[in-house]
Amino acid sequence: MKFVRLFLLEFFRLLQSPFTWLTALATALSPLAGLLFYQPAQAGTMATQFLANPALAGGVCGGIFFALLTLEELDRASRSRVEVLADAAVPPRHLALLRLLALIAAAALCFGVTAALWFPASRRLIGSVFDTGDYVLAYGLFMGLALPLSILAASSAYQFTRRTDLSLALVAAFSGLSLTVWAGDWQLCWLNPSVWALSDDFSNLRIFRSVAYIRLTWLGALEGVWVISWLFVRQWGKGPLASFLCGIRRPLGPLLALCLLAGSVSAWAAQPLVDHSNPDLTVMTFDALSMLEGVTCSRRSAQVFPDTHAGTVSGKAVYQLQNRSGSPQTAALAVNPGYSISSVLANGTPVPFSPGDYEEYNEAMAEVTLPADPQIELEVEYGGFPQESRSMSTMQGRLEISGQYLCLENSALIPRLLNVSPEGEERYPTSVEIILPSHMTVIPFCASEAAVTAVHSDGTSTWSYEYTGSGGILYAGDYLREDIFAGGLSIQFYYGRKHQAVMEAAGAAEAIQAVVDYCTEHYGPLSFGADGSLKLIQSRVSGGGYATNGASLLDEADFTAANLNDQNKGTAPGEVMIHELVHQWWGLANMFAPGDPKDPWSAEGLTCYTTYRIAKELYGEDYAAEHYVNPWKQAVEDYHRNFYVRNPQYLSILPEEERLQITNRLAELRQYCEMPLKIRKAETLVGGEAAMDGILRGLFQRELDWAYPYLTYEEFLDACGLEKEELDFETNCEI
Amino acid sequence: MKRIVKYECRRLIWNRFFFGFLGIFLFYGWQVLKHEVLPGVAGTAPFSPWSFGSYLSRMAPFLWAGTLLFLTFFTSRKARRAAVLTDASPADPRRYGLARCAAVLTGAGLLTLACLGEAAFFYGRYVHWGHWETLLAPALTVLPPVLALALGGGWFLGRLRPWLVVLWMALPFLWMALPLPSALGIWNGSFFAEYPLTLGSLDPGFSLPGAVAAAQGAALGVGGIAFWGSFWGNAGRGG
Repeated sequence: MKFVRLFLLEFFRLLQSPFTWLTALATALSPLAGLLFYQPAQAGTMATQFLANPALAGGVCGGIFFALLTLEELDRASRSRVEVLADAAVPPRHLALLRLLALIAAAALCFGVTAALWFPASRRLIGSVFDTGDYVLAYGLFMGLALPLSILAASSAYQFTRRTDLSLALVAAFSGLSLTVWAGDWQLCWLNPSVWALSDDFSNLRIFRSVAYIRLTWLGALEGVWVISWLFVRQWGKGPLASFLCGIRRPLGPLLALCLLAGSVSAWAAQPLVDHSNPDLTVMTFDALSMLEGVTCSRRSAQVFPDTHAGTVSGKAVYQLQNRSGSPQTAALAVNPGYSISSVLANGTPVPFSPGDYEEYNEAMAEVTLPADPQIELEVEYGGFPQESRSMSTMQGRLEISGQYLCLENSALIPRLLNVSPEGEERYPTSVEIILPSHMTVIPFCASEAAVTAVHSDGTSTWSYEYTGSGGILYAGDYLREDIFAGGLSIQFYYGRKHQAVMEAAGAAEAIQAVVDYCTEHYGPLSFGADGSLKLIQSRVSGGGYATNGASLLDEADFTAANLNDQNKGTAPGEVMIHELVHQWWGLANMFAPGDPKDPWSAEGLTCYTTYRIAKELYGEDYAAEHYVNPWKQAVEDYHRNFYVRNPQYLSILPEEERLQITNRLAELRQYCEMPLKIRKAETLVGGEAAMDGILRGLFQRELDWAYPYLTYEEFLDACGLEKEELDFETNCEI
Repeated sequence: MKRIVKYECRRLIWNRFFFGFLGIFLFYGWQVLKHEVLPGVAGTAPFSPWSFGSYLSRMAPFLWAGTLLFLTFFTSRKARRAAVLTDASPADPRRYGLARCAAVLTGAGLLTLACLGEAAFFYGRYVHWGHWETLLAPALTVLPPVLALALGGGWFLGRLRPWLVVLWMALPFLWMALPLPSALGIWNGSFFAEYPLTLGSLDPGFSLPGAVAAAQGAALGVGGIAFWGSFWGNAGRGG
């Protein structure tokens, strides 16, 4: 009771301080910074711009303000020289705990008022796609939890040092690191969580889980540090060490600190959200595995059971294998690193399997011992919480699994056989059954259509579909479908139900028609595998997209009300949408060899070039020059200026981690900027746009050599009648 | 007077604050070197004058804050109360003030040396490089104006009101976030990232446009004048 009374006294005393009210006012206004200038989340969705950024700014600014208030309050007694009196009235450690709780209570009150004040503003700014649940979670996690973290950090610094100036320096450095040099590491951003986007049309549970995890990890760590600093609270006129020695006489404090620190370190190391894939993106050992002699796969089927509440997946995959070698073999399966394999049966009998430690490209490899039987039915049970790729750790949210949206890609859907060839044909058939809430529409990312085969009494339905291939991507969500006919194609355009009004108002379907007509007219109709049909699927905001036979992904950020109504771009949607549509022609997987990622020749070169041409036609030459050609030139000039490009001997002496960071960035630049600029140079050398269109049309419609169906740089040069050197740039990119 | 300088230096440097601040300072510097300097600034080498200048620009706010934190030893209310005693002593207040100034400069000098030493260690370890003479120009361009303005302005403001030093301390953190005119580009680091690109050559040697040189000279001058005003204007009292 005494503790509660003292807490209330301290809390109301805190509320009487003008500095507290100043801090509260500044904190309440701080989301404004997220609307005006502090915008760490870059995606173009309305929720990102008008919810994530204000909440993040509120967290950062509010955190700093409350850290200053904490230092001001903790130093008050010392500054007023009444410390001896205060210590005589209440034991110093009790007082430290009371002050901490009072500050956290004041922060909670301030946060509650701020969140309530900003609710109507956010609702009005975000418009029809506003979601109250997202608002509460975004403000609670991005802003609310930043305040106690800052209070704990500042309070710990003061309790260790007992000096305001040194504590200020510590808090400034700790905050500065989180905001600057640690910003690229999602686990180190204690003040400004690594959030790059919030979805308007679908759920955001995955990114909220990620932020909550990091917030709680840091909360545990800073609480542990605070408890240690609490043991250093000076008492009985003793120095820090003597006070500490007194403090550890009772084991509860040190034990609590140890538990909190150990818990947070364990949570840090065992985080379940991001994998530990090899950061060297040039290494592809899984693809380089040699195929098993005499072992083939004729069919694969899977039953997949996503848990839309927990965000987990469980499933059972069955492979029909033929073993003609007459001896046991070891098959390799790629699974998402977040999954574990619980059992493997071969013809109904358990067989040994071993999960591997090595991860690459968001996959882990498990090895299974196959018996010598000629016909094997291999049954694999798997499940877990899918992990995202380490290389995209600051852009989490892709593998969202909820009652509104689901995305399962390749080995996150079904384990993939790495070293077993298909029986007979090029790829083996796969059938998938998936159980999801009935309001969700299942969309396989391929030419196949999914159909409901059973409706269950618990509000779920079973969907099933078939396709051929060793991978497989599945989207599901609360989608609407619109059918469009363009370029001789039947296009099924799927978009989120929440976006219906915006899509119709912006005429997105007409814009899609224009792009498809352009590519069909210039390069020819899509000929590969889709039987004259194409699915366009609006995905949850993901920073880009991809395409495959008969399906292409469109990022929701290109369809936001703000983007679709951007007068600078005319009435057509954003160019990323065009880019992803163009990949249907210059496909990611269909027409370019998956070779060395450092090779500048890839699907991106021709796709970027075509996107530029369409933008030029839609928005004019000046727009295309400003947004495409000039940035490409600048990027290529930067590339050639780069010290490590000119002096690779220095690159080779750097530690591996630093070397990879540099090489990955340079490789991307060459594919997305240097190659389209070379193609544009080739356009000039071959006689202009019409001549280049003719060449590209010829290449697109060329007769494929199925042994190697990929379009190479040499073929492109031969078609243009140019030598490689003619397209090279040194430092001057002028054409 | 040497004894007073020695005593003040010991008071400023031989304490938890200095070593704590040094630890924070070095940690921050290492992060800047690893993440910002190593990739090279403006396409130049990580050990070019431009990359090194960028590093110094990023460290300048902490150097500034550190120098002013040393100054708070002499401008705080507690120090002002003790000034009643020191003023009553037979020592010349100006000389006593200069002795304190020398102690602050020693502290700031040690921080500067730590900053430079850390870069030397980093370059040696990561890129096996050690031609330090080429980095003298950016160091002289960045550091003296920062130290002069911090110390001169801080000393001057601290004599007026102790809390003004705290505001002065926050200034570099504010201008790091502001879009300053190009002449003040050194103060937020943009000069080292942008100016070499305009020189039209690869790995350009270090040079300063007139406006930037004038701004740095002005900062040095203003710092010097403020410092002079603090001492000779009122016999160095309180400082």
